Amino acid sequence: MMYLKLAWRNIWRNRRRTIITVSSVAFAVVLSLILESMSLGSHEHMIDVTAQFHTGYLQIQDPLFEDEPFLDNTFYYDEALRNTILNADPSIDYIAPRIETFLLAAGDLQARGALVMGIDLEMEHNLNRLKDRLTEGRFFEPGEEAAVLGAGLARRLYVEVGDTLAMLGQGRFGMSASGLFKVAGLMNHPLREMDNQIVYLSLPTAQWLLSAEDYVTTILVTPDEIRNTDPVSESLRDALGSELRVLTWPELMPELLQGIEFDKIQMYIMMGILYVVIGFGLFGTILTMTLERMKEFGLLLSVGMQRFQLSGVIFMETLIISLMGVLSGSVLGFPILLMVLSQPGRTKW
Amino acid sequence: MAIVRTEKLSKVYNPDTVPVHALRDVSIEINEGEFTAVRGPSGSGKTTLLNMIGGLDKPTSGNVFINGQEISKMKDSKRIDFRLQNIGFVFQHYNLIPVFTARENVSFIMLLQKRNKKEIQQRADELLEQVGLGERKDARPVQLSGGQQQRVAVARALASEPKFILADEPTANLDTESAMNLLDIMEKMNHEQNVTFVFSTHDQRVIDRARRVITMVDGAIHKDEIQHTDEKQDA
Ligand SMILES: Nc1ncnc2c1ncn2[C@@H]1O[C@H](COP(=O)(O)OP(=O)(O)O)[C@@H](O)[C@H]1O
Ligand SMILES: [Mg+2]
Repeated sequence: MMYLKLAWRNIWRNRRRTIITVSSVAFAVVLSLILESMSLGSHEHMIDVTAQFHTGYLQIQDPLFEDEPFLDNTFYYDEALRNTILNADPSIDYIAPRIETFLLAAGDLQARGALVMGIDLEMEHNLNRLKDRLTEGRFFEPGEEAAVLGAGLARRLYVEVGDTLAMLGQGRFGMSASGLFKVAGLMNHPLREMDNQIVYLSLPTAQWLLSAEDYVTTILVTPDEIRNTDPVSESLRDALGSELRVLTWPELMPELLQGIEFDKIQMYIMMGILYVVIGFGLFGTILTMTLERMKEFGLLLSVGMQRFQLSGVIFMETLIISLMGVLSGSVLGFPILLMVLSQPGRTKW
Repeated sequence: MAIVRTEKLSKVYNPDTVPVHALRDVSIEINEGEFTAVRGPSGSGKTTLLNMIGGLDKPTSGNVFINGQEISKMKDSKRIDFRLQNIGFVFQHYNLIPVFTARENVSFIMLLQKRNKKEIQQRADELLEQVGLGERKDARPVQLSGGQQQRVAVARALASEPKFILADEPTANLDTESAMNLLDIMEKMNHEQNVTFVFSTHDQRVIDRARRVITMVDGAIHKDEIQHTDEKQDA
C-alpha cells in the first residue's frame, strides 16, 4: 500500500505534466477508437450497400452462371422454389429474385450499354429500401412497360421522366430482345458505377423482353443477421441440392474485401505511428520524472530500499499514468462508438 | 568486539585521471554506546570515511567490518539489506522523501524491514514524540523547518533499530538553536537507549559535545582523543 501511495503521490508532484501525458494517451485512445469505428462502420456500410444493391448477402444461381454469366444459364423460378428457399432456414428474412443482363439503351440523342435488372419491386424494397431512392417520377407496376433509370445513366442518355427509352440486345438462347419503355422514374443508386448504367424493369417485363418467362438469373437471400450467413448457406445447400449454387457475400465481392483489407492496413500503419509518437511522449515523461529524482533514489537506496523495489514503484507510476489515459480515453470515446453503432438504417452485423 | 572496525582503509577517486587520495590507511574502531565526532577541515575525508563505514561506497583497499562482517566485499543487494538492518543514516541534506509525511518517512523504513503494520504505526508515533514532533506527524518535509526535518531524519534512522547511526554533518544547515536541539536529542538517545552515534562536523560547538573526537587531515587520522564531558551535558 505504501509503495502505491509513493507512486501515486509522485505522479502528482508535477500536476501539469501528468495531466498533459494522461491527456495525450487519452487522445490516442479516442482517436484510434474513432478511426477504428469509423472504418469499421464505413467498411460494413460498403459491404451492406454492395450486398443490398448488387450481390446480395447470399445469392442463388445456376451452377454455370459464374463462369458464363449469360441468360442461357438462368433457372426456373416459381412458387414451389420460393417456398423451398423460404423454408430452408428460420433465419431467412426475405428473398429477392432478379433477372439481369446487359443491353444497349438509347434515348433520342445517345445510346449506351446498360445493366438491365428485372426486379420484384416489393421484395427488392425489403432488401434495400429501393423505393426511397426514387428522385423523380414513380416506380412501375408489375408487367408495365416502364423503366426506372439511374440518374447518372439518364443524364448520359439525355432522357427525362416521360421520355421513351429503346432497348436492344440479346435474350435467352440468342433470341433478339428489343422494346420501347416509358421512363417512369429516376433513382439515385448508391453505387456510383451502377448509377451510370442501371435500368430497372419489373420482373415480368424483363422476363418478357428477354424471352425468359419464369426464369431468373439470381435469387438474393437476406438472413436476419449477417453473422448467420454461413449457417443459412448450409441450409440452402441442403435444401437445393446440386441443381443450384449458393454463394455468400465474401465470395461475391472479393475485390471489395481486398480493398477493405488494404484500407485497414493503412489505418493500422497510421495508428502505429500515432502510438509511437504518444509512446515517446510517455517515455519522456517517465524519463524526466526519473532523472529529476536521482537524489531521492540515492536516499532510498542508502537507507535500504532494494533496486527492484524502486523499479517497481517507477513501473507502478508508468502503469497508473497509462491506465488513467486509457480509461479516460475510453470514457470519452464510448459515446462516439455508440453514435456509430446507432447510425440509422444500419444493418445488424 | 567493536561494532565498526576499519583496517588500512584507503580510497582513491579518479585513479586513472587526476587521483585524489581521499583516505589513507585509516584504521579505527567504534564501540557500542560511543558518541563520536569526526572533525576536520572541508575536504579532509570525513564524508568519504562515513560512506565507507556505512557501506555506501567501496574502498580502494582495506577492509570494513561491521559486527565482524566484511561489508565492502558484499554483493550490492546484500549490502543494501545489510544497511537496512544495521545502520541508520542522517545526511546533511535531502534526507526525507518529499511526498511522504513525517510519520510516513519514519514508517517507510520499517515497512522495508517488513515489520507488522501495527508495530510500525506505534513505533513511528513514539519516535516522533521522542524527537519533539508529536504535533507535526502529518506534516510534509516542506512544511517543516530545517531543524525539524533533521529530527525526523534522526527518528527515521532510529526506527530500524540499527547497530549505530551515521550522521554526516547533520547540523551544517541549521542555526545554533536548532543544532543544539538536535544534539540534545541525539545525546538523550545515546544516554537513555545506548544508541551509538558517529557524526562528522566542523562546528566547534558540536565537537564540544562529543565524547570522542577523531580529527582528520588530508585523509588520514591526525588525532583520536577522549574528551571529558563538561557541565552542559550533565544539566
Ligand atoms: N566522488 C568524488 N570524486 C572525486 N573526488 C571526490 C569525490 N568525493 C570526494 N572527493 C574528494 O575527496 C576528498 C575528500 O572529500 P570528502 O570526503 O567529501 O571530505 P569532507 O567530507 O571532509 O569535506 C576531497 O578532496 C574531495 O574533493
Ligand atoms: Mg563532507
